[in-house]
Amino acid sequence: MAFAGPVLLKRIPDDPAKRRLIRYSDYCATGGYEALKKSWTTPPEDIIKLVVESGLRGRGGAGFPCGTKWTFLPKDLHPRYLAVNFDESEPGTFKDRYLTDYDPHILLEGIAIAAYANRITTSYIFIRGEYHHEAKILEEALEEAYANGIFGKKLPGTDIVHNCYVHRGAGAYICGEETGLLEALEGKRGWPRIKPPFPAVAGAFAKPTIINNVETLACLPDIVLKGAAWFKGMGTPSSAGPKLYGISGHIHKPGVYEDELGIKMSTLIEKYAGGVKGKYRAAIPGGVSMGILGTDQWDAELDFDIGRKYNVLGLGTAGVIVMNDTTDLVLMLRNIVRFFAYESCGQCTPCREGTAWMHKMLNRIVAGFGRPRDFDMLMEVGLSMGSMPGTTICGLADGANWAVKTFLQKFPDDFKSRLKPEQVRGVTLTPAGATV
Amino acid sequence: MAWLVEDRLKPYQSKRVEPYLTPEIKKRVAEKYFPRYPTKQAALLPLFHIIMHEYGYITEQAIDEAAEFLEITRAQVQDAVTFYEEFRLTPSGKYVVNVCRSIACELCGHADIVEKIRQVFGIDPGETTEDHQITLFEVECLGACEQAPCALVNEDLHGCLKPDTFVRHLQQLPAEAAHKGNGQGH
Repeated sequence: MAFAGPVLLKRIPDDPAKRRLIRYSDYCATGGYEALKKSWTTPPEDIIKLVVESGLRGRGGAGFPCGTKWTFLPKDLHPRYLAVNFDESEPGTFKDRYLTDYDPHILLEGIAIAAYANRITTSYIFIRGEYHHEAKILEEALEEAYANGIFGKKLPGTDIVHNCYVHRGAGAYICGEETGLLEALEGKRGWPRIKPPFPAVAGAFAKPTIINNVETLACLPDIVLKGAAWFKGMGTPSSAGPKLYGISGHIHKPGVYEDELGIKMSTLIEKYAGGVKGKYRAAIPGGVSMGILGTDQWDAELDFDIGRKYNVLGLGTAGVIVMNDTTDLVLMLRNIVRFFAYESCGQCTPCREGTAWMHKMLNRIVAGFGRPRDFDMLMEVGLSMGSMPGTTICGLADGANWAVKTFLQKFPDDFKSRLKPEQVRGVTLTPAGATV
Repeated sequence: MAWLVEDRLKPYQSKRVEPYLTPEIKKRVAEKYFPRYPTKQAALLPLFHIIMHEYGYITEQAIDEAAEFLEITRAQVQDAVTFYEEFRLTPSGKYVVNVCRSIACELCGHADIVEKIRQVFGIDPGETTEDHQITLFEVECLGACEQAPCALVNEDLHGCLKPDTFVRHLQQLPAEAAHKGNGQGH
């Protein structure tokens, strides 16, 4: 069974003029909260089993299997928390904002199902501070949901009263990292924590905590209603289900589109986004920390295996940024590195210093003073930082690492043509070992 | 994130008599936010969103009062508050214009927007006009890349900007903003 039509965006019309905020009554009239009612009559263990079977993987960037994450919760340890990661700060990513702008209840229903399945006491929707409009929408939707008994009452079969609140961040990319988010939730500086202990064991307020992305939770109602086999029928064997793709940059119709996982990037651009403005040169597959797809990778399949196949970090958030052949890739890399230098929380030295050094080097290259050794030095500094080389606590520096690495590997001439031998008092310096 | 270091040679700001954390603010936080979390400290972000909304910036005295109110040390409050970009320790204009400078907006011409504001209002990013009407900031991704280039004016997102029309919009903003800061009070 292939993709038969939108799942997450089924209530949002394609025509922008017809889009309206879907209120509680409209949501219920179109089959909303049916899944929650169905799940309330199912044993919670069965719902967890269903989510594991469905193969639902986290939509927030890492692609960790959602059901597996839930099974990490220690048995009989209460209270438990659910933190909803709505700190959508990755450049190029705006899918959760779009979904919530029109259909906040699909998220709330997902939260209610996850809370029932995992015996959650309190759910916190951690929304980034810049999303003023969406925070208001969620607050209103929550009021409606409370008034209709979705939240604030005992989870069926238990004595646990489940509450759900909006918690606004205050402008820090690092709070999208799950333990940084928990620190911000606790009213502290948003510095990621050293793991273990993992949040499932000791998360918010040192209690077992699940952290899920907005889109992941929004997938739950349909999984409960239609079953794991239906969900697995979409996408590829390792990447099941529908996916929201955000697309921006040099294309005719930027926006959020839904299709199954594993469609080709060319399909996304030509079928949905109205084609490239000009001639395609490069694209970022899922937020700037994933690296870049080269000119010959136009047909890359957008699924969780993209990293292995196309030398990028992964699918990330599937926020595709397209660049045409007029784009200066040195400027683009400088922009990306500046982002990481600016948003580095400063806790780990390799990230704090490394991103700033790379930004300086790229500034130098843009200004026309790039030295031949800068190419290798950029690569060396880039490769040395991140949680994969094992020099930092969280994955922020991995993003800078992969951006620099893939730009330099896939477009070396763009950089090398900007470098020129250094001159000291009129004498051209020759790198050691070079033949003159 | 900027690292802010306290200048200990700077004379301590003179105390104003009436508190920044008025009884109304305290009551609101105590009734609405304290029951939500197991610790009082967790209400720090909501509390400072309210302070930003009321006053437009955060003073040392407000930090002191918040520490007492949340029953944590001043250092803990300062540690958290200085980390977040939306919490500003200096006053800004009535309208805070945050122009996005991240990759999609750079591709779609954010530089033209900033340049136009620079020409018309005579301010660089980080500066405020002399009439305290507009403060310009360049910020990282606002999460509205499909509307690039975009900007946040106080709480309102403006997308698909054209330099001329956006500057005209800024010039026509009413002299009094609806509230002082860009943090909403809920």
